[in-house]
Amino acid sequence: MRLLSTRRARTAVVAIAVGSLALTACGGGDSDSQTKDDSKTQDDAKEQSEAVAYGDAEASKGPAAPVEGSREGGTIRVYQQTDFSHLDPGQIYVSDAGLLSVLIHRGLTTFVEDDEGGLTVVGDIATDSGTPSEGGKVWTFTLKDGIKDEDGDPIDSGDVRHTVERLYSKHITDGPTYLQQWLSGDGTKYREALPEGPYNGDSLPDDVLETPDDKTVVFKFDTPRPDLPQALAMAGYSIVPEEKDTKEKYDQKPTALGPYKIEEINAGKNMKLVRNEEWSAETDPKRHAFVDGWDITFNHDRVDQSKRLAADRGDAKNGIQFSGAVDTSQIKSIVSDEETNARTIKGYAPYVWQLNMNMDRIKDKKIRDAITYALPNGNILRPDGGSYGGEVAGGLLAPTVPGYEKGYDPYGKIENPQGDIEKAKELLKEAGAEGQSLVYGYANVPHRQEQAIIIEEALEKAGFEVEKKEIDQATYYERVGKVDNGLDIYMTGWGQDWPSISTVIPPLYDGDQLADGSAVYSHINDDKVNSEIDRILEITDPEEATTEWQKLHRHIVEEINPAAPLYFTKQLQIHGSNVGGARYSSEKSYIDVSRLFLKS
Amino acid sequence: MLRFLIRRLSSAFVILILISAFTFLIFFAAPRDPAVLACGKNCTEAAKDIIRDNLGLNDPIAQQYWEFMRGIVMGRDFSVGHCDAPCLGVSFNTDLMVWDTIVDRLPLTLSLSLGGLVIFLTLGLGAGLIAAAKKGTVTDKTLSSMSLVFSSMQIYFLGPIVLGALVFSTGIMESPRYVPLTEDPLGWFTGLLIPWFVMALIFTAQYTRMSRSSMIEQLQEEHVRTARAKGMSRPYVFFRYAWRGSLIPIVTILGMDLGALLGGAIVTEMTFSLAGIGRLAVDAVTNIDLPLTMGVMLVGATFILLCNVVVDAAYAYIDPRVRLG
Repeated sequence: MRLLSTRRARTAVVAIAVGSLALTACGGGDSDSQTKDDSKTQDDAKEQSEAVAYGDAEASKGPAAPVEGSREGGTIRVYQQTDFSHLDPGQIYVSDAGLLSVLIHRGLTTFVEDDEGGLTVVGDIATDSGTPSEGGKVWTFTLKDGIKDEDGDPIDSGDVRHTVERLYSKHITDGPTYLQQWLSGDGTKYREALPEGPYNGDSLPDDVLETPDDKTVVFKFDTPRPDLPQALAMAGYSIVPEEKDTKEKYDQKPTALGPYKIEEINAGKNMKLVRNEEWSAETDPKRHAFVDGWDITFNHDRVDQSKRLAADRGDAKNGIQFSGAVDTSQIKSIVSDEETNARTIKGYAPYVWQLNMNMDRIKDKKIRDAITYALPNGNILRPDGGSYGGEVAGGLLAPTVPGYEKGYDPYGKIENPQGDIEKAKELLKEAGAEGQSLVYGYANVPHRQEQAIIIEEALEKAGFEVEKKEIDQATYYERVGKVDNGLDIYMTGWGQDWPSISTVIPPLYDGDQLADGSAVYSHINDDKVNSEIDRILEITDPEEATTEWQKLHRHIVEEINPAAPLYFTKQLQIHGSNVGGARYSSEKSYIDVSRLFLKS
Repeated sequence: MLRFLIRRLSSAFVILILISAFTFLIFFAAPRDPAVLACGKNCTEAAKDIIRDNLGLNDPIAQQYWEFMRGIVMGRDFSVGHCDAPCLGVSFNTDLMVWDTIVDRLPLTLSLSLGGLVIFLTLGLGAGLIAAAKKGTVTDKTLSSMSLVFSSMQIYFLGPIVLGALVFSTGIMESPRYVPLTEDPLGWFTGLLIPWFVMALIFTAQYTRMSRSSMIEQLQEEHVRTARAKGMSRPYVFFRYAWRGSLIPIVTILGMDLGALLGGAIVTEMTFSLAGIGRLAVDAVTNIDLPLTMGVMLVGATFILLCNVVVDAAYAYIDPRVRLG
């Protein structure tokens, strides 16, 4: 594709981005495995600081890069555990619907990925990834010609305006809020700018969002927003044509701009996608439409998905997992068989699991350090899939985030994944806290229960007394997200919303955001950290910002230690033998659905 | 008989009201907030309050319950449209009418339950009668032993084994799936054959043991011995006098089993990745979906209560000694 062949020449703005997850095998066996371990390691990620382009007009042209061996025709079978949480783009935040949105929705911008996993932000229905002005406070987008919805109606700037303004209305509750908050105020304050959305004829003023003509959209912010093109690539900001918006009902039958449209939905049972004849490959730099359709069925748990696809019989030959993964009980049998292993997709997921140490209750850093040293990260990882499920973390940033520093390990977790009980005992003694009681909250699901036993045992060896408290999985994050949660330690996982530390450190470690329901799970509230976050968010140069984020990350981990790093997560999926073009998507952390075809 | 049915149906109705009120209260007593599930990352109290308002959860519980019950009789209006009576509300999770969702899932559950019932009832009663007729023989001991083994098994254990053997390893059969009977009768039959087979193995065992012991008991009754003494043939006495009496305990467990199956064969549906009422019940609870939970609970309870009424009525038909009233 032209995009890749001329990429370097077309870089407008550079961001440090996720490295590649090239599919090369490497060693490093799981201690409990007799088979060769070819799970992804950080060596596969080549350059974790690889530059990602904000693509220009040339990079944003279609068609997408050719896929070797591709052919047209056939229907891909998708085995999925649960129905998609939402179909209305404004409500889409989670990965399952986010993956579907690649097929049916389009946004102003999108990510394209090269064969090494490098990401470039390009214009999707816009001609490029946006033009910043006034130091990044103003961003201008021009729409491509020939963009139509599934009914053949052209998309203009009014539709983009409507897409943004509807996000202010009361019925939109689940999607991302970055753009709305940047435009109109933090928290839920933005809703006051347009309480009823655009439905009563109200609009955002031109000094916030301007659409001077049918092809131009101008976003105006109070402060520089260098990440805007990446934020707009989120599924939650996909276009909803004004004339087709049915408010609450839109969640049941959205209008497609992407290569496929919904032909049939049986809620909770199945969904069928067929070609959207109004979609033009010439306008789309990301998506192919090799297959005629997608047949998605729900109610297949991970075990069922894994077994069907590994067996590779009948429809399953054309089958894939969408947001499911190989069940941990079957990882070993699948990766140890050459044939099934050849049909797997492996890569880093964006999540980092950490053990938060409630800083309102554990005020002495020496005690927090003792907890951190005591933890046997290698053992804690095992119930979550071992080396195929993740990798021991030394810091609080995942390998998928720009600015991740490979080998960063201030507490020796990578070097010594069994933990350092002696060091923990020593620190606890220094703190005068031997026998300190810790209330440990964990979710009542099998792998968390197993991890709880491992963590309890290690901490008690180090001299703590652990009181375990099981929490209902469905309300786990609500419980640990309360400021007065009555817990000392508890695990949480967090993944970036797009490849930028600005979607990791501020939500997790900005004490100014500490409130019931916020993600500041450790209750860190450090003046230096808070002011640094505010300062770095205003840096418009991505490379400079990344360097500053790295410094802040090190400061948080080494000087404050609010959360013990546990492990990064990895993705392992399997597909049928007739599926071609399968690769891991760095952007979505799942199989790349934009380029799949059937071999016969 | 009519008075009996009216009385039983009236009491069933009262029980349904009590169940609905209890379910409603239990839902709100549980420390789970539906708004949390419909709230993205960084879910603030203000954001949750907007969601609760959208779901109607900020109204007093009594008012919510009244609106729900009134909707069953009179229908209701929601932001997604009008919900005709019998309106069981709109799912928190899908924004779809609960009644429509249940009606959509019912054919699978009916197919699974009734198909399975025909198989396990036929095999179970047949095997039980043979075992009773051949009491003490190798045939009896074999059938009794087999029924003891299979009745000790569970669907979640036997199901994956059968799937592994017949589908994943050998490919002899296709994975279970549901195709409407009206669309493709053969597909309907083959798609549900494995679940029926596994259900039959487990349920048949129970009915074999029950019908065997019940039949042996009946064969020792005085009226049966008298009939044989009068020179009637063994098969005639067997089916004319003994079998009918032996059906009373069978009808009792059949009524309970059928009610439970129609209310949602949760484990069976989960094991075979089928989307019926059972799966819907699990989804409702998992997603903290009050209207769907209420809907599934009421439909399930209705089936169980109706089956109980039918069982009571069947007693009178089977055994004239049973007096209704």
